[in-house]
Amino acid sequence: METEQILERLCAVGAPSGFEGAAVRTAKDLLEPLMDEVWTDRLGNLVGVRRCGKPGAKKLLLDAHLDEVGLTVTGIKDGFLRFTANGVDHRMLPDREVTVLINPPLLGVVACLPPHVLSAEDREKAPEVKDLFVDVGLSQEEAERRVPIGTPMTYRAAFTRLGKRQVCAKALDDRACYAALLRTAELLRGSTLDVDLYVLGSVCEETGGVGAKVVTQAIAPDFCVAVDVTHGRTPDSPKDEAFVMGGGPAVGIGPNMTRWMARRLLDKGAAENIPVQKEIMERSSGTNGWGMQIANEGVATAVLSIPLKYMHTPVEVVELGDIEDAARLLAAFTVGLGKEGAQ
Amino acid sequence: MIETLKTLCCLSGPSSYEDQVRDYIRSRVEPYADSVRVDALGNLIVFKRGAKAAGNKLMLCAHMDEVGLIVKSVTDEGYLKFGCVGGIDRRILLGKRVTVGEKATPGVIGLKAIHLTTAEERKDVPKLSDLYIDIGAKDKDEALAQVELGDVCTFVSDAVEFGDRMLKAKAIDDRVGCAVMVKLLEEDLPIDCTFVFSTMEEVGTRGAFGAAFSVTPEVALVLEGTTSADIPALKPERQVCWPGKGPVLSWMDGGTIYDRELFQLLRDLAEQNGLPWQMKHYLSGGTDGQAIQRTKAGVRVTGLSAAVRYLHAPNSVCSITDAEQMLALARLFIRAMAER
Amino acid sequence: MDMMNDLTRLVSAFGPSGAEKEISQVIEELAQPYVDEISRDTLGNLICHKKGSGPKIMFSAHMDSIGLVATHIGEKGFVHVGALGGVDPKAILYTPVRFQNGTKGLVCRNLGVEVEKLKVTDLRIDIGAANREEAEKLIRVGDPAVYATPTEQMGNRVASPYLDDRIACLVLLMAMERLEETDNDLYFVFSVQEEVGTRGARTAAWAIAPDYGIAVDVTMADDQPDSKHAATALCGKGAAVKVMDRSLISSPALVEKLMALGEEKGIPVQRDVLQSGGTDAGPIQATRGGVCAGGISIPCRYIHSSTEMVDLDDVCACVNLVRAFAASKLEK
Repeated sequence: METEQILERLCAVGAPSGFEGAAVRTAKDLLEPLMDEVWTDRLGNLVGVRRCGKPGAKKLLLDAHLDEVGLTVTGIKDGFLRFTANGVDHRMLPDREVTVLINPPLLGVVACLPPHVLSAEDREKAPEVKDLFVDVGLSQEEAERRVPIGTPMTYRAAFTRLGKRQVCAKALDDRACYAALLRTAELLRGSTLDVDLYVLGSVCEETGGVGAKVVTQAIAPDFCVAVDVTHGRTPDSPKDEAFVMGGGPAVGIGPNMTRWMARRLLDKGAAENIPVQKEIMERSSGTNGWGMQIANEGVATAVLSIPLKYMHTPVEVVELGDIEDAARLLAAFTVGLGKEGAQ
Repeated sequence: MIETLKTLCCLSGPSSYEDQVRDYIRSRVEPYADSVRVDALGNLIVFKRGAKAAGNKLMLCAHMDEVGLIVKSVTDEGYLKFGCVGGIDRRILLGKRVTVGEKATPGVIGLKAIHLTTAEERKDVPKLSDLYIDIGAKDKDEALAQVELGDVCTFVSDAVEFGDRMLKAKAIDDRVGCAVMVKLLEEDLPIDCTFVFSTMEEVGTRGAFGAAFSVTPEVALVLEGTTSADIPALKPERQVCWPGKGPVLSWMDGGTIYDRELFQLLRDLAEQNGLPWQMKHYLSGGTDGQAIQRTKAGVRVTGLSAAVRYLHAPNSVCSITDAEQMLALARLFIRAMAER
Repeated sequence: MDMMNDLTRLVSAFGPSGAEKEISQVIEELAQPYVDEISRDTLGNLICHKKGSGPKIMFSAHMDSIGLVATHIGEKGFVHVGALGGVDPKAILYTPVRFQNGTKGLVCRNLGVEVEKLKVTDLRIDIGAANREEAEKLIRVGDPAVYATPTEQMGNRVASPYLDDRIACLVLLMAMERLEETDNDLYFVFSVQEEVGTRGARTAAWAIAPDYGIAVDVTMADDQPDSKHAATALCGKGAAVKVMDRSLISSPALVEKLMALGEEKGIPVQRDVLQSGGTDAGPIQATRGGVCAGGISIPCRYIHSSTEMVDLDDVCACVNLVRAFAASKLEK
């Protein structure tokens, strides 16, 4: 299956942090043909392993998270849902379509006051989340009966191609990277490996990274790579902190990234003629890599990021070529690792 | 002790780039150690047998890393824009000298001459995003021939004794702890000890997580440099602690409530042996103790620090006597552990 | 067990974060008759074990309380303080406090700072000393102090300091007293240092390695006048089943299991989404390869003030829900 179709399938499911079941099921179908064994753990993480068959082989863990940002129902007033948002830009919530994740799902629209009832001053203000409600078109009684407190909601947004090279959808953060991991495993199909390759689709990254943390603790890998998105360049983004779309994945550099791991990614990029960018992070990388690095006795960690525009909105955009390049880079990184590499 | 400390302070080692410090310490301690290893996080873990076998029971920990800068981008004119590795007060950056990258390219943190500033500008400290490092390059290409994105920068500051047994140097936090451990390693020890020279403390006590997990001690003594603010402008309760008044015994900070019984043991040891001691009078900061204490089923953690003025700045100041007394008290602590 | 009597004992026992010895002795004495084994770990967590061959369940209620700690003694004998846990300086002005050695004091403030801008470091404790010398005879730097406010029953509710989290300690003790027959391997942990960042539960969970973890704690009640809706639980509406807080998203299957148990056993239950604050459930979930974790909470008003309030029916509902879960059929 082409990466674009895989992405469309992955992004179609609603899977906010803590409620990733639907994304995990879809991802499992896609991962199974590429691995020796696939399972989910207690927290719902999806893990697959391809063993290299060599005794005492070292372990490489590749991670991309399957959860997406979302909203949570916290109460019901006159049939409208009160909610809290996690990681969502509240400025773009008014008049936003959402899916209320009950079975069967409900359509909801974030209610907004029409401008002619607002003062000139209020029209300039972005409403706070606590003043917003989701309209599900139900009475108070019916809404109370059908929508329990704590119900998660996600954006309702179509998957669209944008121009020749880019695609637009919700939840490309971080399913674009999960698609890159699937593609990596596919590229490695014919290759002999010197490491046992673990592919993780982790839960709860957007709420602190507990998913990747427990998997790293359980598997105790020798090396790990957190694959996540970074900011793609737009007219309004600071040039220093945003990356060229189509310029290849960004290799993280700084205290969160083990130096020889980052160097190996850069070297493989140069050797295989894969474009890469450098992302300098003086503190936390803000990815699962932050927690994975200090799991157990400490793990050699790299962070690889795919540029993405409009992060945490329903119109996230990535360039397909960057996904392919990330996969090629990870495949090149993996081949020979265990025999080469280390300090 | 003082020569070791001065040498250590002059080495470069921002968080996760501790190589110089690690190599030097390794060369110093290898002749005295029973085993030396470097783990995935870069921690240098040194085991030395003592008169009493105790395995991994007792761990001592000091961090090798210091705060520094990291090159994030290069302007078309050849100036380096940077971020801070670890907590740095940007007031102390203006007009300071640094070395950049492995080639140790000299640079200065430039600033507009005061004549060119407006009265408004003079009131505020420039934002980090307005600061830059000048390495004398004529343009971006010439700069990139000399440095790479991701190069780390170390402050330039020599180690000088001055005043009444005071030391001025960079990175006293925590080379003072490293120096104490290097000296202890040269001695015959009454009990087995594991010495952890940790990495990445300044970016969240990260090395210590891994080291404590692999060592799994029962008791850990953290040796640190801690912030002092005993300058005349501050009221006594804000001065925190005082260089020259003896080692600072840890009881609580932003990351850890230290083991009460071990605190009392250190206090008693100091008093019985005529050593001065003090407590911090303001709660702030954290140490590797916060990572070590909550490892696996838990570790009893205690700490001993030197009071350091201008802690994360190129010209930090401590008392040499305090450092020597820290060594003496750490030695007494190890002996007390052997006698238990 | 006499509920009010035991509660009074629990809330008046000294036990701020990091100094939980006295409260742990009180709990140990109360728990002794009901479990097979009681132990303390390195950090001081009190671990009560009722042995079974089935899945391991860890219940955790923290026994530490918030408080103040002396950091400096001023010339005039006023004691400067730091916070033990989430102390709101405005909410505790003029609260009576006591130190472990019995020294009493009153929280006052540095008058140089406006009340609105008050920080903990602007608070002082007046211990009735005329000067520093006198004060140093009574207390030392590093000594913690706790609120010395009374415990009163008001209608069906109780107002008291430190219902967070001594009411949950009582819930666990009452549940332990009336456990049903079960194969489940039960651990009742009275954890330390929760208020300074859920530190104790982390090491206890590592040692126990449970299959299921339930934090029993208070949750913010959303029923004060003009509530900002930062929480969802209501006083008097039953045991609050945690869907999420700042420290975790509970295992959805566990949430449904607890809700279903409530329904089945006629225990009033409500769903709880808390937007501020975390619980022991967070570190328990993150233990080793991951633990199926959630929480049972008592809705509580005025949390972290010097007098908190809970409804006694909610307390009973929580006891019954803990009992029901402890005896329920679970997979390993």
